[in-house]
Amino acid sequence: MGMEQVWLLPAIPAGIFVVIALFSRILPRGGDWLAILGLITVTVLGVLVLIDFQGSFTGGHFDAHGNNVFAFDWIRVADDFFAIEFSTFVDAIAVTMIVVVSIVALMVMVYSVGYMHGEARYGWYFALLSFFTAAMLTLVVSGNMILLYLAWEGVGLASYLLIGFYWERRTAAEAAKKAFITTRIGDVGLLIGIILLWRATGSFDIQTIIEAARAGAIGETYLTVSMILLFAGAAGKSAQFPLHVWLPDAMEGPTPVSALIHAATMVVAGVYLVARFSPVYAEVLIARDVVLYIGLLTALMAATMGLVESDIKRVLAYSTVSQLGFMFVALGVGSVTAAMFHLFTHAFFKSLLFLGSGSVIHATEQQTVEQLGGLRRKLPLTATTFTIGSLALAGVPIFAGFFSKDEILLETLKGAPLAAYVALAFTAALTALYTTRLVVLTFFGEPRNRHAHEHAHEAPTSMAGPLVLLAALATVAGFVALDGVGKALGFAGGFGELVFLEEGHHFKLDPAVAFGATAASLVAIALGWAYWSGAAERAARARRWAPELHALLVNRYYLDNLYQAAIDRVVLGLARVVAWFDKRIINETGVDGGAQTIGYFGLRLKFLQTGRIPNYALAMAVGLAAIALLAFGTQ
Amino acid sequence: MIPMENFLLLSAVLFAIGFYGVLARRSAILILISVELMLAGVAINFVTFATYLDSQAFSGAIFALFVITVAAAEVGLALGIVLRIFRERQTANVDEVDTLKW
Repeated sequence: MGMEQVWLLPAIPAGIFVVIALFSRILPRGGDWLAILGLITVTVLGVLVLIDFQGSFTGGHFDAHGNNVFAFDWIRVADDFFAIEFSTFVDAIAVTMIVVVSIVALMVMVYSVGYMHGEARYGWYFALLSFFTAAMLTLVVSGNMILLYLAWEGVGLASYLLIGFYWERRTAAEAAKKAFITTRIGDVGLLIGIILLWRATGSFDIQTIIEAARAGAIGETYLTVSMILLFAGAAGKSAQFPLHVWLPDAMEGPTPVSALIHAATMVVAGVYLVARFSPVYAEVLIARDVVLYIGLLTALMAATMGLVESDIKRVLAYSTVSQLGFMFVALGVGSVTAAMFHLFTHAFFKSLLFLGSGSVIHATEQQTVEQLGGLRRKLPLTATTFTIGSLALAGVPIFAGFFSKDEILLETLKGAPLAAYVALAFTAALTALYTTRLVVLTFFGEPRNRHAHEHAHEAPTSMAGPLVLLAALATVAGFVALDGVGKALGFAGGFGELVFLEEGHHFKLDPAVAFGATAASLVAIALGWAYWSGAAERAARARRWAPELHALLVNRYYLDNLYQAAIDRVVLGLARVVAWFDKRIINETGVDGGAQTIGYFGLRLKFLQTGRIPNYALAMAVGLAAIALLAFGTQ
Repeated sequence: MIPMENFLLLSAVLFAIGFYGVLARRSAILILISVELMLAGVAINFVTFATYLDSQAFSGAIFALFVITVAAAEVGLALGIVLRIFRERQTANVDEVDTLKW
């Protein structure tokens, strides 16, 4: 198993999806064991791909360190005029993604066995998870824009179906619809971008496009527009401003799904896309600045909204949006290393946090922090692992998030205006603040809902296992940045030596940045503890002190209301005009009108039928004579 | 040998008389008889051409036989229909049988 057979990775879960979808009623346990077995295989194969990759990896130029495997022609028109090849491409970014996707998907599947136990459509759930994994892995390894787009929509479909898994609940159905339509808006941009790039280069092959763009074969304005359109797709998928509104609502899905799709894998597809095209973004700095500032704005906005949200999962959703903003900031300053590193660590600690919140919900059947509290005595394992995840998210040293966040801050300081760095550092401190709030309100203090507290019980083994494993990863995953650890694992060096744009670099802490960030995080944690522990009196006072600000945040900057108003006024208004046109002009005038005209003629002309045989005979004879005359008269 | 035109003339006259009868007559029976005249004209036409153009070929004669056979079948069917109509309406006048229209 090497890079040439990487197509097996998506093929295995795709096959399992078909089997479970068709036979889940017959298979014992709905076929969950089959899905897990498939994922174990995929994880092992993924590690083999990683080993093969690092064995052949010599470093050097970005374009060179990939392995493009052409599998077969999919569509080919007029030789090379329009060719879609089914090809796979493996480079350092793809390998990172394969590792992240397969590990998190496996953890989530094992966890789901406990979490979804006894649910209706249990087998279908595992079929969908397999389908998602297949689509995500296709997305990651595809070497062709069309295949990538296909997989891109595939993960969107899986996300839609899983958000709306409890479709009996109206909110879930609406959230699924919202997620699909919102991301679709970005996808239109992506599709136009793909077509523009094809028009300029005549190819859908990603490496060909990148090389053509780097060689200056595409006009600068044209390329800038194309790249911004690609980013629009990425922003939709990765929930960046102004298309971020779907992700908090997506929490209507089952919690393990939120961990897999809406924290660790699908939502980072946008980051992956921009990272894949980072050599091109380096050529068009305007487009890259768009990425930077959208990411920065999103990170800051989402962090502030996370401060006041009371639904435990939605806090995590805002946190995800915010962290994705961090990754885009890194890409915006041109550091693929920092972005992919944060993607890597974030996948582990954020899926851990989601699975932890799932454990809380499973135990108490409550998910607003007003109903929780004091759970650390009842759920010691969940509380410990959740706290570890929170420390990683808050960027406390030695935990995974510290290394990657520090890397992003450092790159921002080097590559962006000071104001951007300050805003980002402030956001990092806010992250620590809302994370502390969440932990304190959920696990510390006194229980606010006695009943829920009394019946709380620790998670079963199938749920506890993934929590412990992910907690371990959230603790140590950051160390791969260090050269020594990378060498010990058999690589040339740390993460920065594997994933990079122009040249690899050794990870080293900038004392000022690291110390500043750590100090800010610790202060924020202390502040959060002081404000929300106990009866949360200080927080309540702070809320009264600035009610307008609180209302602004609780109402998500009124963006959802604005969109709703825009939809009600503009979209529905336009829809009414179109509906009127369709009803009056197309249907009543065109279709019905045509039928009525014919009907009128029929009504008048029917009197030609006299029913008298001699009339018919005469008409027949005259007709025959006319035909005979026409046929033979000219000869 | 009798010239071919004589036979063709006979055939045309028979056909025209039959056609006039179909258009002018009101009685269903007489219309049927007129149709038979037209068919006889056609049959003579076939036989004439068959004999004069290639006396060794039988296709014209076979067509004439077919015409006679089909005419017999047709009359059998048509008389049956006329009989039913007469039983229903006590008339064989086609002008009074005009309700099968709109």
